[in-house]
Amino acid sequence: MAAADTPSASLRHHDLCSRGIRLARKMRSDVTDLLDIYVEQQGLDASISVAAVEGVPAAAAERWAEQTGTQRLLDNLAAYRAFRVLLAQMLEEQREQLGDANGELGPALAAVLLQVSAFAYHLEELLELESRRTPAEEGSEPPAPPRLSLFEQKLRGLGVLRELAQWAVRSVRDLRQLAKHGPGSSAALGLADSQ
Amino acid sequence: DSHIQYERVGADVTMKCGSMDWDAAVTWMANGTDIDDSHLNGSYLILKNVDLTQSGQYFCYEGSSWHLKYQTILRVGVPPKEPVLMCRSNNYPKGFYCSWHLPSPTYIPNTFNISVIHGTREMVCEKDVFPKNRCHIRYLQLFSTVKYKVTLTVTNALGKNSTSLTFDEFAIVKPDPPESVVAKPVPNNPRRLEVSWQNPSSWPDPESFPLKFFLRYRPLILDQWQHVELSDGTSHTITDAYAGKEYIIQVAAKDNDIGTWSDWSVAVHATPWTEEPKHLTTEVQITETTSTSTSSFMPPPTTKICDKGAGVGSGAVAVCWTAGLVLAAYGVLFI
Repeated sequence: MAAADTPSASLRHHDLCSRGIRLARKMRSDVTDLLDIYVEQQGLDASISVAAVEGVPAAAAERWAEQTGTQRLLDNLAAYRAFRVLLAQMLEEQREQLGDANGELGPALAAVLLQVSAFAYHLEELLELESRRTPAEEGSEPPAPPRLSLFEQKLRGLGVLRELAQWAVRSVRDLRQLAKHGPGSSAALGLADSQ
Repeated sequence: DSHIQYERVGADVTMKCGSMDWDAAVTWMANGTDIDDSHLNGSYLILKNVDLTQSGQYFCYEGSSWHLKYQTILRVGVPPKEPVLMCRSNNYPKGFYCSWHLPSPTYIPNTFNISVIHGTREMVCEKDVFPKNRCHIRYLQLFSTVKYKVTLTVTNALGKNSTSLTFDEFAIVKPDPPESVVAKPVPNNPRRLEVSWQNPSSWPDPESFPLKFFLRYRPLILDQWQHVELSDGTSHTITDAYAGKEYIIQVAAKDNDIGTWSDWSVAVHATPWTEEPKHLTTEVQITETTSTSTSSFMPPPTTKICDKGAGVGSGAVAVCWTAGLVLAAYGVLFI
């Protein structure tokens, strides 16, 4: 904890938070574009409702304002690690279905997957700065995707991307709270006056 | 206690005089005026195709004794049309409010009932004391992909109607306009205006949920606006204003990441700084008198207004040139 309190640690913390916010905003913009491409190429209605998808981390948070900085980082890291696996599965499914005729979707998916991986790494750096051990990823092999029909796969993919877009917005907010309270503030509540 | 009777515009209304027989002699009065026999069928009062002017108090008296046998309040109105409903979050992430109105009056009392569903959860919309047609909801969750469904039902004695809105958390976020917009000239800068404003007071946490701003400005004499988007800060210096022209300036706000732009703020007016013109007027008059007696005219090498000791920078150069041209023009006129 002492390391987190030094001026250089504060500067690094601030720098990591600022860069993280920029990464998250870029990611959100690209995920929004990806959603448009996905909906069009999968022949879906953009307004279709998708029920909560199993295995997809929900961005929704109760008592969000009361979370500690560490909790925010851990929740974000768990989410983006999960999205890394989910997007890789989606990319594989696209390649199996469409082969080389992947069009725009494959490259757009791959680009977002790269950003998600980079963001997860960024979160790990922030956690280390908080002098927190980065939790190990569970298992070496990702869980096998559920057996779904083609249409169910498409809907699941839509659910994944929509939830990822929400997470990108949430991450911006989480990192701002983190920046506001400084490093080593795991005991400090992320209490905004808002809630 | 008076009984209230609600009837639709255009309906035919029959009023019985309490328990009086049909053939009893009675007198009906409405709002203090006798009703003539043409509206009576025996002791029944018949009002055909009622209109709004026939709302009021109706009394029925027994013929000879003038005992009051029946009274009622007739209220003529219409069933409610589909209400207009809007929901908005101007205090994100605290919550949102919904407000409503009827597109046209019903002329009789209405009650409004609102329900808010988020997924499977029913949420409470707390009615505001003022205005009456508004209620607010506190967010229990943030960043949810599950949509909210708000249903408003309006009911009166003649019927009911309802409308629904479905939206997600981000879509309804719209701050109030920025407050305390101030625009000032910048001393010794004829093309600049300094604009400052404050976050809307209803936005609860601008540090954690910063706003970005859109500024628009134009001289009053032109219709075309100039626009500037500002991602942070609550001030901006306009550097391309037309010298001496009065400007109108407005600012709008938006959450940095979600929702829509606010309405434009109250407009403020400002005129860029200009140098005091009084010395110029005095010198021109004196020089004009002198130049009428010469056949060729040379502008004077220096005048008081071009005194470099004045220290007014580039503005002074423009004034010196202008004075020289004016003097030359007068010289030409009087040759």
